[in-house]
Amino acid sequence: MPQNYANGVKPIFCPGCGDFGVYAALTKAFQDLNIDKDNLLVVTGIGCSSSIVQAFGCYGIHSLHGRLLPVAMGAKLANHDLTVVGVGGDGDGYGIGSAHFLHTARRNINITYVVMNNETYGLTTGQASPTGQKGYKTKSTPFGIIENPLNPLAVAIGAGATYVARGFSGDPTHLAELIKNGITHKGFALIDVFSPCVTFNYLNTYDWFRSRIYKMAPNDHDVGNKSEALKRAVEDEETNFDKLPLGLFYRTDKPTYEELDITLKDGPLIKQPMQSRERIIEMLDENR
Amino acid sequence: MASVSIRIAAANGDGVESSGALLGRVAALNGMEVFGNRGYQSVIRGGHVWNQVRIGDEKLYSYGDSIDILVALNQDGIKNQRSHLSKNAIVIYDPGKCNADELKGAQYTLISIPLLDIALAAGGDPIMRNIVAIGAILKIVGIPLEVFEGVVNKMFSKKGDEVVKSNIKAATDGYNYDGVRKIYDIMGDGKPRYLLEGNTALSLGAYAAGCKYYAAYPMTPASSIMQWFAAHANKGVLFKQTEDEIAAINSTIGAATAGVRAMCGTSGGGFSLMVEALGLSGMIEAPIVVVESQRTGPSTGLPTKTEQADLLFVMHASQGEFPRIVVAPRSVEEAFYLAADAFNLADRYQCPVIILMDLFISEHFETVSNFDVDSIKIDRGKVADPAKASGRFKRYALTEDGISPRSTPGTKGMSFIAPSDEHNEYGDIVSDVLAGIDEHVEMRVKMHEKRMRKIETMLKNERIFVPNIENEGAKHFLVTFGSTTAAAKEAVAALNKKGLSVGLISFNYLLPLDSKKTKAMLLNKHLIDIECNYTAQLAKVIMMETGIEIPDRILKYDGETITTAEIVERASSMIR
Repeated sequence: MPQNYANGVKPIFCPGCGDFGVYAALTKAFQDLNIDKDNLLVVTGIGCSSSIVQAFGCYGIHSLHGRLLPVAMGAKLANHDLTVVGVGGDGDGYGIGSAHFLHTARRNINITYVVMNNETYGLTTGQASPTGQKGYKTKSTPFGIIENPLNPLAVAIGAGATYVARGFSGDPTHLAELIKNGITHKGFALIDVFSPCVTFNYLNTYDWFRSRIYKMAPNDHDVGNKSEALKRAVEDEETNFDKLPLGLFYRTDKPTYEELDITLKDGPLIKQPMQSRERIIEMLDENR
Repeated sequence: MASVSIRIAAANGDGVESSGALLGRVAALNGMEVFGNRGYQSVIRGGHVWNQVRIGDEKLYSYGDSIDILVALNQDGIKNQRSHLSKNAIVIYDPGKCNADELKGAQYTLISIPLLDIALAAGGDPIMRNIVAIGAILKIVGIPLEVFEGVVNKMFSKKGDEVVKSNIKAATDGYNYDGVRKIYDIMGDGKPRYLLEGNTALSLGAYAAGCKYYAAYPMTPASSIMQWFAAHANKGVLFKQTEDEIAAINSTIGAATAGVRAMCGTSGGGFSLMVEALGLSGMIEAPIVVVESQRTGPSTGLPTKTEQADLLFVMHASQGEFPRIVVAPRSVEEAFYLAADAFNLADRYQCPVIILMDLFISEHFETVSNFDVDSIKIDRGKVADPAKASGRFKRYALTEDGISPRSTPGTKGMSFIAPSDEHNEYGDIVSDVLAGIDEHVEMRVKMHEKRMRKIETMLKNERIFVPNIENEGAKHFLVTFGSTTAAAKEAVAALNKKGLSVGLISFNYLLPLDSKKTKAMLLNKHLIDIECNYTAQLAKVIMMETGIEIPDRILKYDGETITTAEIVERASSMIR
């Protein structure tokens, strides 16, 4: 029997919210991989999507807006035997938390990061998000967005993420596969998810996505080749958002931060013994 | 007590800092007491820097009020330090680099030594000018050359025999230079002392307490903590340099929640960025230790100068109310013990503990005779027993003392969600759809009271949250906290010597404060408040906690720490 990853608390999503699909996909990924839920840590930020952690019956940290990646990093470095999954939204990760997104990616820490990208700020009732489409009118941009949308896939590839994929919450089965591969991938994995906000985003609706998305065929491009991956990643802009590819964009094998860190060569920090008296004396004596 | 203050002054890049450290190390190894400080600027080369080493035969509490021996490596060294010279100062200078014409006519002893020429002859490196000068100083203060040789052998052995030999040659030539003679007679007791900066002592205390994770972004004057942890990363402590201070503290919270003892550190500017996460640590009850080493503010301020103006800031930073502990070490030695204690307090009360340092205590160096490693006991606080796991784990159980036994990820059957939102005993949030509904309003009140109750528990269970008093029977008392305690202590001795009845009240555990006991201690005494800030923040805290006003204040905010002489002079005028 698969483990139960729910704790009985219902997510606060609106009826029809795309994030339900992400919740289902995450649950399926955990079940398929049969991850020990006592060894699973889900870390989220703040926003509609981040409240997802409240519904999981594993360990969780529902942290601050934009700060889930450093919190997740600290936990992973303290105990890298844990499976650490970061989950958040586009405002959380690509806006206020963008510095952490870049730097956690470049460190290649073995964390899986799932971003529910609805191209709007939902919980604050519909302001422009970093991935919002140019011209789109929101509460904070009544005359239309004049900034260019951030391309999280290209940014992640450029920053040094070693697994970059995109899914659609309307296709949880496909999404679950991408998440599963992200979790089993050794290194920093980004899974960006088109996850429609049915309340505040009147532009990027299920239908809008469905008419534009398509799944990349396995041999469409060499996923190990950065240039080819980047080329696919900028297809959104190059087609004026008419064609939005889904699937795995980039994957490469590189040592993880935990494998390279000198302190962690002796195993997870939490399992390393406390400092011995001899060692403390030795450190003190450096000053005599 | 006999002591001598030696200042080496030159440009950045001339090796002043390492020379001061070397001289201090030699004296400490010779069984003398040392107290050193440095003045520098936010430049890498050029500018004007100095390093002062005071050597004495009894425990020292300040680096001295004036310069007894000045080594001037350039003209600025004479020009900028002239006003700090004591009446009978000895001035060593290199005639090839500067002249001492402006000092002639006074009672100074001028010793001209061709430092550069001797250095070049000894080994070829101009930086060894300092070593030639150190050789001369050793002769003047009566330290045998062999002690120097021992230190050089130890410190420079990695650099090879040639370097060791040329340094010894340079020092010997300075020692034996014509006209250099023994003037001071300071005897060491032959027992080697530790010599270290406050940041090093703090790092060692954290290490001894089992700190395994330190995260930081470079910022003066906290950076040397980072460097200590980075240098010891192969000894069981992970150092993570982060993209900013926000990531530093958030990752510290992640590590602490995952179960390891974790710390982050910065100065006021970086702490400003950490403020939101400080509240997260309070809300999810993650035991973290945060070091804030103050420098002169506001804003970027004077990055290489000291101040004590962040006291009220660290006490109140972050929105809402939550328990926190603020400690401020009063000496390098105490930085070791308070750092270790900070981890026990954090674990026991599951809240952030802030170690309030300042540039002066972080960066000045002092001798310490002994560190009592065995006095450091590790107490991880209330940990939930996995054997008793049944049903959903109540991480935030409503307990009488406010402390809920915690579990860490990986423990079977004891999972929970740690939320920044207000929550119930399981960690389920009561904020979004549940806010304002009666039963959840009730939970908010209960949970907030549970957290806040920890303050009462701290005050009940610990005896540390009161100031320390010396000379209890005195008529007048100097009142201060943290790093300024040392100079105040020396001032108390000097004032009593002048026939005045003066005691000392110093704070090291500042928050929470046992207001009743503190009030009883301060009541009906003539108090003189001493702080390095403009607004007398400690006096404000005392007023707030006890209702006692301290009108007599000695405040300083020019970037340097307050000196013994300044306290003596100003306090004398306040004692009527």
